Amino acid sequence: MMAPMELIIELILMPLVAFVVGMMMVLMMRRIAAKLQRRIGPPFFQPLYDIVKLHSKQTQISHGLIHDIGIVMAMGGYIAAETLLPVPGMTGIAEKGGIITLLYLMMIPSLGLALGVGQCANPNGSIGIARALTAMLAYDIPLVIVIFGVAYAAGTTNLVDIIAVQQAGGFETWGAVQMPVLAIAGLIAMHASLGKQPFEIYIAPAEIATGPMVEMSGKYLGGLFVMQCFQLYTTSVLYVSLFLGGGTTWFDFLLKSFLVLAIPVSIAYLFPRYRTEDLLRLMWKWPVMLGLIGVAFVL
Amino acid sequence: MSSIKQIPVITERKGNPLARVFDEFVRFCRSRSLFILHYCTGCGAIELPPAMTSRFDMERLGIQPMVSPRQADILLITGYVSIKTLKRVILTYEQMGSPKYVIGICSCTVNGGMYWQSYATAKKLDEYMPVDLYIAGCMPRPEAVLAGLQKLMDRIHSGEANSWEDYFRNYDYYLGNQQKLFGENWQTPTDIITEAKHYDLIGEGTLGKHTQLLEQHQKPLEALDMRLGHDLKEPTE
Repeated sequence: MMAPMELIIELILMPLVAFVVGMMMVLMMRRIAAKLQRRIGPPFFQPLYDIVKLHSKQTQISHGLIHDIGIVMAMGGYIAAETLLPVPGMTGIAEKGGIITLLYLMMIPSLGLALGVGQCANPNGSIGIARALTAMLAYDIPLVIVIFGVAYAAGTTNLVDIIAVQQAGGFETWGAVQMPVLAIAGLIAMHASLGKQPFEIYIAPAEIATGPMVEMSGKYLGGLFVMQCFQLYTTSVLYVSLFLGGGTTWFDFLLKSFLVLAIPVSIAYLFPRYRTEDLLRLMWKWPVMLGLIGVAFVL
Repeated sequence: MSSIKQIPVITERKGNPLARVFDEFVRFCRSRSLFILHYCTGCGAIELPPAMTSRFDMERLGIQPMVSPRQADILLITGYVSIKTLKRVILTYEQMGSPKYVIGICSCTVNGGMYWQSYATAKKLDEYMPVDLYIAGCMPRPEAVLAGLQKLMDRIHSGEANSWEDYFRNYDYYLGNQQKLFGENWQTPTDIITEAKHYDLIGEGTLGKHTQLLEQHQKPLEALDMRLGHDLKEPTE
């Protein structure tokens, strides 16, 4: 049992670390996109410049109280989720929360965004958020199957224990080696949850003008940029914890997280976009099938 | 309308010595992160894809395209603005969040260019909204576009690019020119005078006879009623 002071410091530090790492992940994403398109790409501190600039805009257009609360929910859901994701040296409240709480917390941002966008009363935003919630329905089913499989194999829903089980025997006990089918299904579900091409149905700048973000300006858009940092971090760290044995050292941990994220991001910029019903059909067919086969192996 | 005399002198600021460092940092970030909304009206739009993509790559300067006026910092107008288009340009401009910058590309925005004799074209863009920067040429090459954008970045960093304040300070002048073109009933959904009061940017030119005319005709803004589907019945009048 750790001292309460230590716990409080960890609860503050974990989201901060997640934010800084998340900004670097955004940078990596944009640099990969630039390299694939034979460009140079943004400078190192570009994500920071964007966030500071957006928060320092003089016009801050709010569409009402729910709009404000929606953005806070979108960021807060992820900030809460970070305290449940163990990193090397810090576990926060991961042992008490468990993976099911984490799954719930990862759904809050989409719902918060839905609330906030609802008050903007912009048809593009409404279409966008309807698509975002449909996409959530699509990727959550394979994600839940995958997480159930991993939890069943490890015999616990405690993320710290799942990591400890994988680290016990070195490389051979990693989730990805023990359960390769589940790992592939998880990768597809993770790609969809990032909302990148070809699953970018709810941003779709050329079609619905960035969907949920269409009426966001200034600090509201800045909040969503911060949310994106957290989103990339949460998704990749969750995958690393489930399948790649977490991290024993920070170097190890960050290397794995960045590499895992680089896979969907590199694929993303080579593809156009699916339609909503195609996404639903694809997600409920292939990752679910792979996930069920993987679960059958585990059982 | 932006002459040397109208540029406000920044007075010395007392209090927190860190405030100036913070202001400097914010100005730097503003200059290094610019979201552009390109309103591509004419042939100048052709020069933007090469400026954005692999040959010249705007993103290395921190400039990236955005799709909605709420998100954008720069309104890029590339080419002639017809009178019908100009209405949309003004609506777009007024919905952008300050600080906002306008760049006119091609000679059409400077003086009408080859459309000088057209009855349907607004000749000078800066009669209708404050323009930060013109990139002249028919059409300017991507090098010129990038050089212009870098010039704007320098001006933002040094705090000179505040012509968006000019729209509030001299609203009467701009509104007068707009009324001359669109008629007396011209009204935008954005209430510029209230906004000017909010930013404390009421100048000598904010209110005048044109804004009086606006107030006479102004219909109060009402929220659209929320309903599903259309009422297809003809109005019985």
